[in-house]
Amino acid sequence: MHVPDGFLSPAITLPAYAAAAPLWALAARRHLGRDAADALPVVGALTALAFVVQTIAIPVPGGTSTHLVGVTLLALLHGPLLAFLCESLVLLLQALFFGAGGVTVLAVNALAMGLLGPLAGWAVHRLLRRRAQRAAAFLGAWISMQVAAGAVALVLGLQHRIAPEYFPVPFAVSATALLVPSLAVTGLVEGLYTVLALALLRKADLRGVA
Amino acid sequence: MRAVLALLPLLLVPAAARGHEVLHELVPGHAAGLRVYESDGEPLADRAYELWSPSDARTPWQSGRTDRAGWIAFVPDAPGAWRVKVVDPGGHGLDTTVQVAGAQAVPAGPPPAGAGFALRPLVGAAVIAAIFAALFVYQRRRGARP
Repeated sequence: MHVPDGFLSPAITLPAYAAAAPLWALAARRHLGRDAADALPVVGALTALAFVVQTIAIPVPGGTSTHLVGVTLLALLHGPLLAFLCESLVLLLQALFFGAGGVTVLAVNALAMGLLGPLAGWAVHRLLRRRAQRAAAFLGAWISMQVAAGAVALVLGLQHRIAPEYFPVPFAVSATALLVPSLAVTGLVEGLYTVLALALLRKADLRGVA
Repeated sequence: MRAVLALLPLLLVPAAARGHEVLHELVPGHAAGLRVYESDGEPLADRAYELWSPSDARTPWQSGRTDRAGWIAFVPDAPGAWRVKVVDPGGHGLDTTVQVAGAQAVPAGPPPAGAGFALRPLVGAAVIAAIFAALFVYQRRRGARP
């Protein structure tokens, strides 16, 4: 799902960095400070798990593949800002050491997959959790994937509109390619993963699990 | 006699038609090739690509679609860094440069999805674990100070 270097122009990547930078600072102050030390082992383990699930390619019809994001879980436990921070770290490592995504597009990918998606998932979960906790977690994770995929599709569509030499695929095509696997496959798997992980974490009754 | 003279130009027709004939020649050893594939070894088949020669960075030298094994083949006009951009409609893809020194023979066959891919999740998870462990120890020490 995440966009590689060279597909987005500075007209998009620079404003994305301008939007992401203060949010990174705020998230680090809130979630990595002295008061949050108790939660760090669990947060670190879930971030490492998010990295792992993002490397697992799920084949979808059409000869392509997709992958989970895995940070909605962090948003449900500690809020969307922490999910944003942890997803940014995952994306940075992927860009620096594994050639996935890229440094110029890091803020765009982080905002789409780490903030907008988890924020939507967190909001849905908060709205529904009193009625049905598991359904709320599942739906939150499913919505999170759709919003993240939709955000990436919108950015690529905007890029195609302002400078198609960076991304020559029209919005309708890229939106279909992103949203169909997300609606049909990834959202469901992310939902199941989130529900299962949440149940296991609550059963384990670890410190740092809300 | 007049009829013969009138038909004489018809003898020139095959010569004119030659200008419209399409010929071909096979020239071994002139093409360079590269293969694009996902980190798990799955080829990026039938994806749109553009290729720029080092002699002209503005206009693509070649564009098309990868074959079903993920190959792009081209005949370079100049040695140097050729930029190649492969676009997956879903936003994945590749924008990189490949060094061409004359024609390059590229080994055929799919690459093994080797240790690099298998170790990637472990290495990433280990790095993240180390970062958070260091942060945890640092914050604990800060918290222990009076």
